[in-house]
Amino acid sequence: MITQTAPSTPRGSALSSTVHQRRRRQPSLYRTLSRVLIMLIVVVQVYPLAWLFLTSLRTEHDFATGDPFALPSSLTWENYARAFETGDLGRNILNSFIVTMGANILIVLFGMMAAYALQVLGFRLSRFVRALFLVGIIVPVQIALVPLFIDYSAVNLLDTYQSMIIPLAGFALPMSIYLFSSFFEYIPRETYEAASLDGAGPYRIFGLITLPLSLNTVVTVVLVNSIFIWNDFIFANTFVLSEDLKTIPLGLQNYIGAMGKVDWTATFAAVCVTITPLLLVFLVLNKAMIQGLESGATKG
Amino acid sequence: MLPNRSRTSVLVFLLPPLLLYCAAVLFPILQSLFLSFFSWNGISEMEFVGLANYVRMLTADDIFWRSFFNALLYLAICLVLQLGGALVVASLLTSLRRGRELIKTLYLLPAVISTVAIAFLFVRIYSIDPVGLLNQLLHWVGLGSFERAWLSDVNTVLAAVSAPEGWRFTGLYMLIIYAALIAVPKELEEAAVLDGASKWTLFTKIRFPYIRPVWITTTIMATTYGLRGFDIPYLMTNGGPGQSSELLTTYMYKTAFTSTDFGYASTISVFIVIECLVAVGLILFMLKRKADS
Repeated sequence: MITQTAPSTPRGSALSSTVHQRRRRQPSLYRTLSRVLIMLIVVVQVYPLAWLFLTSLRTEHDFATGDPFALPSSLTWENYARAFETGDLGRNILNSFIVTMGANILIVLFGMMAAYALQVLGFRLSRFVRALFLVGIIVPVQIALVPLFIDYSAVNLLDTYQSMIIPLAGFALPMSIYLFSSFFEYIPRETYEAASLDGAGPYRIFGLITLPLSLNTVVTVVLVNSIFIWNDFIFANTFVLSEDLKTIPLGLQNYIGAMGKVDWTATFAAVCVTITPLLLVFLVLNKAMIQGLESGATKG
Repeated sequence: MLPNRSRTSVLVFLLPPLLLYCAAVLFPILQSLFLSFFSWNGISEMEFVGLANYVRMLTADDIFWRSFFNALLYLAICLVLQLGGALVVASLLTSLRRGRELIKTLYLLPAVISTVAIAFLFVRIYSIDPVGLLNQLLHWVGLGSFERAWLSDVNTVLAAVSAPEGWRFTGLYMLIIYAALIAVPKELEEAAVLDGASKWTLFTKIRFPYIRPVWITTTIMATTYGLRGFDIPYLMTNGGPGQSSELLTTYMYKTAFTSTDFGYASTISVFIVIECLVAVGLILFMLKRKADS
């Protein structure tokens, strides 16, 4: 860039000032337009969620008759009381938590182990194994429903936490392996070689070098996967029947009454309660989460 | 490769993940392939029927074809909303000086909400009695004649169930594309501006070619996710009214768990897998070739 190599010459400064002029002239229209557009799109993304929350505070009468855009005429917490009466929200949240934790432990531990074997240890068929794992990224999860349903009923796993955790972890594993491998690439060879010379075997190197260094990647993997696992509907809906094991998405379905009659304001209150935990995590850790999502795909 | 590794150590690290993956992903795929040649309702004796399921699917099942074309349209709507929207917003965002982080966070918000909650939300948005957000909005801007029960109208229902899926994940793709866009070297852009390049030329000649690898990844992600779309149509309309919002995935699910026709459902599953592999192959082929030319 000219302005950097020769900032003091007259030619350089003249050029850079025309650049700045262009920059300053163009903004007015282009910038205002893009700002308005961005605001508009943000409203489209966020308003429905704000509306969801406002509706959960409306009285039923207000909801059934009023203008949907209007602010509630009076605020009430009654919907929340009814929401807790209708369903077992605490239980649902606990179940979602157990499933998310269980799956995440498998995803992180196994993802790290496989990446270590593929990237650090290396072996002859590693390309083939990588290709096998790639299949899991492309193939839709629905393919596994019928076979797993049959297999689970054969080994009595239907209606258990494991029935949800196994496929959730299995399908998330390839992406996790991929993220860990691309991180392991950045750990210098010399680190390993030095440790090897000191007599450390593959297990000690894994525990003393690879594991502690990958903590950032662990956070990324956990955050990204938690969004999908916490909200999983299809595996839970297929493999779980008993109320005791229902996760949040299934619990919410209980609010659809018989004959399709729905207590909407209470349902929305329940929705608000159930999205709160993940939303809080997201808002507190959104920097880490955003970084994770960005790095996850740009490296590919 | 680590000098001190042994064959056992590779196995110790590789086997547990590989076993889980085989049990949850690879083995079920093979099992589906196997089941697709049988007729089985889960209780009676399995009966080998050869290619009969495939013949039935491809030649005699109107619902299958209907679902297939619905799924393609669903995919198209999702792709336009997700990739198009993501590209537009990411580009706009790079021109913004302040508030980028806030907008990224807000934009990603819907991705955190479960599909069940989103389905509830959109049922109310599309509703006509009591009047929902969409119909009220149309009424206000003078398009009252377009007001309708979006989910019961056979002409609009497919678009109505596709839009929430698109809406949900634009933020995710926007983040990825944005990260790629800000990695475009400033020197390149400024040189082009000096040469008098317009915003449009700047985008098509400098920025887009630069982010092409990321664009390919994003397109593949969005496509495979679009093809596995299930939750929102299933929850909002269950494929109805009639079959007007039936996707291959919802049709497969109903065949398996409502009609308990495991054999035929597996045949549809196999088709979905092939469809995904073909789609990814096509994307790679088209985008790679364009890059070479």
